[in-house]
Amino acid sequence: MTSAKISFRLIFSLFVTAFSIYLVFLLNPDGAPRILLNLLTFAGIYGLSAIGLNVHFGWTGLLNFGHASFMGVGAYVTLLLMPHAAGREGEVTTTGLPFFAALILGIGAAALFGLLLGLPAIRLRGDYLAIVTIAAAEIFRLLVRDLESITGGVYGIINYTDNFQKYRPLFIDNFSENLGFSPSQAWVCLAAWVSIFITVLLLKRLSDSPWGRALRAVREDEDAVRAMGKNAVWLKLQSFMLGAGIAGLSGVLLAFNYGSLETTVFIPLLTFYVWAIMILGGVGTITGPIFGSIIFWVIISETDRLAYLLFENANGQQLAGVRFLLVGVLIMFLMIFRPSGLLGKKEELLLDVK
Amino acid sequence: MSNNLISVDNLKKSFGGLKAVDVQELSFKKGELTSIIGPNGAGKTTFFDLISGFQSADSGEVSLKGKNISNTQPYKIARMGMVRTFQLTKVFDRMTVMENLLFSGSNINNDSFLKSILKLNSQKLYESNLKDKANQIMSDLNIGHMADSYARELSGGQKKLLELARSIINEPEILLLDEPLAGVNPKLAEDILSLITKLSDTGITILMVEHNIEAVMKISERIVVLAEGSLIADGVPNEIRTDTNVIEAYLGKADE
Repeated sequence: MTSAKISFRLIFSLFVTAFSIYLVFLLNPDGAPRILLNLLTFAGIYGLSAIGLNVHFGWTGLLNFGHASFMGVGAYVTLLLMPHAAGREGEVTTTGLPFFAALILGIGAAALFGLLLGLPAIRLRGDYLAIVTIAAAEIFRLLVRDLESITGGVYGIINYTDNFQKYRPLFIDNFSENLGFSPSQAWVCLAAWVSIFITVLLLKRLSDSPWGRALRAVREDEDAVRAMGKNAVWLKLQSFMLGAGIAGLSGVLLAFNYGSLETTVFIPLLTFYVWAIMILGGVGTITGPIFGSIIFWVIISETDRLAYLLFENANGQQLAGVRFLLVGVLIMFLMIFRPSGLLGKKEELLLDVK
Repeated sequence: MSNNLISVDNLKKSFGGLKAVDVQELSFKKGELTSIIGPNGAGKTTFFDLISGFQSADSGEVSLKGKNISNTQPYKIARMGMVRTFQLTKVFDRMTVMENLLFSGSNINNDSFLKSILKLNSQKLYESNLKDKANQIMSDLNIGHMADSYARELSGGQKKLLELARSIINEPEILLLDEPLAGVNPKLAEDILSLITKLSDTGITILMVEHNIEAVMKISERIVVLAEGSLIADGVPNEIRTDTNVIEAYLGKADE
């Protein structure tokens, strides 16, 4: 019976996802493949980030509202370690590490940031942790903005994409030409989905392991965890580091999807998008955020088009209003229909935060 | 002195102006089954919190096996062999009964991130032994049929059983039971009592806070009475039953 339920959830999720993708084609008679690629790239990157957030919230019960900062640390550290140009004058740095070395250090830096933020904050209960993390994320963003000599400040970082694009295999170029894609975005898209695949394999291994079980116990009752002789603080810190590392990777991918990086990318809205994706997909699941992310991005990008089709005579400002109204309505419908998210189990509905 | 497993020296704790615990001297011997009784608000649970590290004392000292544990983290105290339960049952709601037991029985080495990601054979072996142990305990406690249910689906009494099962899977030396019979039906209470007696017979030192006075009188070897945070009586059940202070403060006249 349980397996029947699981397959129902899976089929339902696949169906909704497929339908969303079909909608893209329906609403865009011209250039659907290009729009779809853009959408799937964002969906992959944000989905990966939401998978990391699910380690924090879904597995361990940590209310982390500073997820954007983990993405930001990963992105900034990786980019700054590679050849790039930054700042008002576009000051060029020609020396640097090769892409993969910088990436690993960037992910490590995000995990380390998770540890450093966690050390003072993680003893806080639920909502207090949320406040501290959101504040820390803003402090990070403002610091990056003001440390112009290192990070390029408001002028951002440019000319770094070659570090990654030079590894682009030839088949991507051929393939993209036929479909009218941007080959560089196709390469980022592939990298994002490969990252998701690897991360999901990794987390599947961990979720049923004694370590994953210990995190879930922390989520359920910290005092009982302590009474059983387990160090709850250390378990939470490990969870924070793992989720932050995954977010760091997604931040790097986000930077490569954009041709330049500035601090406004990491505003709290990014965190809230990731939260929405995780909730849509199913809190506490591993693959849920993938479906959640695709659907979320279809809703975000296609409501624009839908609003235009519904109200042809409206001006831009009115359309923007209608669009976000549609976003809200659609997400509400999904949550009413599947309150535990697309893949989430009702018995494990994880939204009741203590 | 060496006979005392737990000793408390001048232990004080207040909340604002309220004196919660003020115990001059109290110690518990190895293998004893002691009940701590007293009216509501007498400081029994606070006393448990203080010796298990969940709260820190304003002053005074607690020692476990001759070691001062006054400012020790609760999980470290648990690892020293003193495990507690809670007045309001704390089970891991959205985990199965089996997972509740496996988590509690697994040592920290087995929980490690690295071992879990490498899925070492040693871990698999450890887990399968642990599973056997958990199955044994569940069948002893008659919750074997619930193994795959979520803990939150259990009745209040079954949750108490699960909490007990979880506490004994690591074979602790000392068990602190905070109201193990509260909200439990008479039949189940009987079972829990006989389990406690059986555990005591195997040499485990047990401290129990309980309001069910008949049960306390029946199974305790020693009773400690607290009122307004202080010790007012300490002795075998028959002495306590006739102690005038205790009757006045707690038992009431109807008892004798």
